[in-house]
Amino acid sequence: MKIPAIFPVALITACGLAILFAQQRPAGPYTAAQATAGRAVYQTNCASCHAADLSGREGPQLAGANFLSQWGDRTIGELVNFMQSTMPPGGASLGGDAYVNLAAFILDANSAQAGNQALAAASGVTIRSVAPGQRAAYLQPGGAATAQQAKQEKQGKQEKQTPRGITVAGEVKNYTPVTDAMLRNPDPGDWLMIRRDYKANYFSPLNQITTQNVNDLRLVWSWSMQDGAILGNQPAPIVHNGVLYVNNNGGVLQALDAKSGELIWENRYGTNPGWPAMRGITIYGDNVYLATNQAHLMAFNARNGRVVWDTTIGDRSKGEHSTTSGPLAVKGKLIQGLGACATYREEKCFISAYDAKTGKELWRFKTVALDGEPGGDTWGGLANIFRAGAESWITGSYDPDLNLTYWGTAQAKPWMRASRGSGNGATLYANSTLALNADTGKLVWYYDHAPGETLDLDEVFERVLVDDQGQSYVFSSGKTGILWKLDRKTGKYLGHKEMVFQNVYDSYNPATGEPHYRNDIVEQRIGEWIPGCPSTEGGKNWPAMSYYQPANRLIVPLSQSCLEFSAQPVEKVEGGGTGGGARPRYFEMPGSNGNVGKLASYDVRTLREVWKYEQRAPFLTGVLSTAGGVAFVGDLNRMLRAFDANTGRILWETRLPAAVQGFPLTFAVGGKQYFAVTTANGGGSPRNVPRLLDTDVHGPETGNALYVFALPDRK
Amino acid sequence: MTRILIAALAGAWAVGTLAAQDTFKTRLSPTPIDAQLAPTVTGHGSISAVLTGAKLTINGTFEDMRSGATAAHLYQSKVIGVPGVAIHDLTVSKAMAGTVSGSVDLTPPQADALRKGLLYVVVHSEGAPDGNLRGWLLK
Repeated sequence: MKIPAIFPVALITACGLAILFAQQRPAGPYTAAQATAGRAVYQTNCASCHAADLSGREGPQLAGANFLSQWGDRTIGELVNFMQSTMPPGGASLGGDAYVNLAAFILDANSAQAGNQALAAASGVTIRSVAPGQRAAYLQPGGAATAQQAKQEKQGKQEKQTPRGITVAGEVKNYTPVTDAMLRNPDPGDWLMIRRDYKANYFSPLNQITTQNVNDLRLVWSWSMQDGAILGNQPAPIVHNGVLYVNNNGGVLQALDAKSGELIWENRYGTNPGWPAMRGITIYGDNVYLATNQAHLMAFNARNGRVVWDTTIGDRSKGEHSTTSGPLAVKGKLIQGLGACATYREEKCFISAYDAKTGKELWRFKTVALDGEPGGDTWGGLANIFRAGAESWITGSYDPDLNLTYWGTAQAKPWMRASRGSGNGATLYANSTLALNADTGKLVWYYDHAPGETLDLDEVFERVLVDDQGQSYVFSSGKTGILWKLDRKTGKYLGHKEMVFQNVYDSYNPATGEPHYRNDIVEQRIGEWIPGCPSTEGGKNWPAMSYYQPANRLIVPLSQSCLEFSAQPVEKVEGGGTGGGARPRYFEMPGSNGNVGKLASYDVRTLREVWKYEQRAPFLTGVLSTAGGVAFVGDLNRMLRAFDANTGRILWETRLPAAVQGFPLTFAVGGKQYFAVTTANGGGSPRNVPRLLDTDVHGPETGNALYVFALPDRK
Repeated sequence: MTRILIAALAGAWAVGTLAAQDTFKTRLSPTPIDAQLAPTVTGHGSISAVLTGAKLTINGTFEDMRSGATAAHLYQSKVIGVPGVAIHDLTVSKAMAGTVSGSVDLTPPQADALRKGLLYVVVHSEGAPDGNLRGWLLK
């Protein structure tokens, strides 16, 4: 092609004008102090919906081209007014100058320049005139804040920083190291890991609390936990030999006397009160282990709480790798998942194992297949650098006999195919069950539940191992609310059950179970609204199901909501990428009669629904069933209930001060059975979607706590 | 004898007609919302619908809308939960709360669609002209 001589001149002139315009863009009518204050407000109140880097999740993007196209021609005053009248969803309001400061931060995040003029709520300045809509450098993965922001953040951290290290010194008396044999066959009175056992059965053999006496449960002690994390507080305490270990928001690990609630020791290992309490800690040998949302894997001495070792999972210098669940201890190793792998970068998401004594990495299985590797041709020709996602953000399970560890993976990122650019490729090993050799991390088999997933419908949740009539099964369910039954030796598909209404698949391959998406989903385009049920809230989400062994049934906490999803353009640049990339709008699920929450029981052999209970509020705890015939579960509406595990009849209920959220447990001390549960706030879709659809369900902004119940002593 | 036979046939027809009556219901709830739309698109309601032969009789109520209803329609979709096209007008109170009703002669394909859960009711409002409340008619 011949380029006219005038073209370079025009190009230079255009570039010059652009630079001149950029230079002439006036300073934004806000101060750096306002932006800094707004940033703090944002991280506390907005980040869970709009993402910490303003790239958008349930809420739309607030920094970048999409934001500017929607808000560029409107005034800052309109933005402030809009936020005041609608944010946060659910009727709560932020006080003081919060909204003005938020607007200042949003302008700043769109590369406006702070000035000397303080922003006023009624500002008539057009957003586009001061903010070019380029994402600020400090929003990029690994991007540094400006010098002034860094200084202010440092000052802020120093002001907020809580004491580090051991803040309450103590010693667990008569500590007994946890052995592999204990993990394989746990003492009925212990609760050594999330969901209690390797098989993720979430079932306790304790039987003092029964269907006949559960109505007599009394509060024995309670413990206020750290508030402050909006990113999701879903604690999963553990108990060993009469000592309860619990991880709090902000990185606070505590050991308590499980009978009396007396604090034994406390380690404030974190510095950021915004850190959520992770979904699982575990105990093995002499140590308690946990992972932080800064992707650190840490070992603490179980006797005194002192840090034994601290290692980083992967490389956080080029992306915000994170974790939201803890490790699984297997034969001297800690097997750990990884989250927040949305950044376009060379290092992909992975599941890895570490030496439990030293923290040294022993093996790593990469969950994204690259060109030239098995499965590498399933990304629609997408360049390796732009293959992202496939996180493993829920702790896996383990079969000691097969020496296989089972993990679920999340969807590829960005969420929708149209944004992702992966065509109709399956995007291995996203949204799959992975069976890995626990010694080597080698892939033994995989099953892709949702090839080419495209509506933020993760299949990442717990893998429940069930043995029945000589067969070995692995059950799982993702956000589609489909219960999958696989042979856990081979990964062969054995059946499925739609536990809630779904309309994203129009058929299944009867031999393999492979689902087929509706054609309009397959043919999606950027900006087009695609309806789908369930929504990103999930038919099934992180609240774990229980295998009620006496009846050979699963009891599953479910949610019923739908959405329309609109793919947004996501620029393909190294260091870019997003964990979202789509705009959602939510609506009630047809046929649900407005009941977002559903608890239901399914026969393991037939997958038949045996009983169900529906209610307005979604369930926000895992289900714990016991040999006493009781199934405990809590919900957003602060209700804690005990159901008859066989019939679904409510046996006992009590209302707690905040949403009942986390992973309940039961344990025994001195021959007496206790039941413990947490109240908690924060979280992603399971909390954010109800804010829109369940506006009649109200709860406080604070109230993280632990409650321990027991039957009265016999006289 | 003939009269008895006729009476018996008439009775059987009546019983058959009654037996052919199908009842459907739905909860009316907001059309898809995000935080921006939520303050405008509010309300709830309920609808019951009876199909007798080819005639569908719809009755319902709604309340708590933020702006007055402007119209209501019966829609047909291809998939439950996926929007389709309007096929009949309904009568609605021009208010933020009121009633919605209609008597509609369905074609055989429309009646078949109803039985498959593919018909739904939409109440439009001044603040949400494309649809404020919606509900799929299900058994």
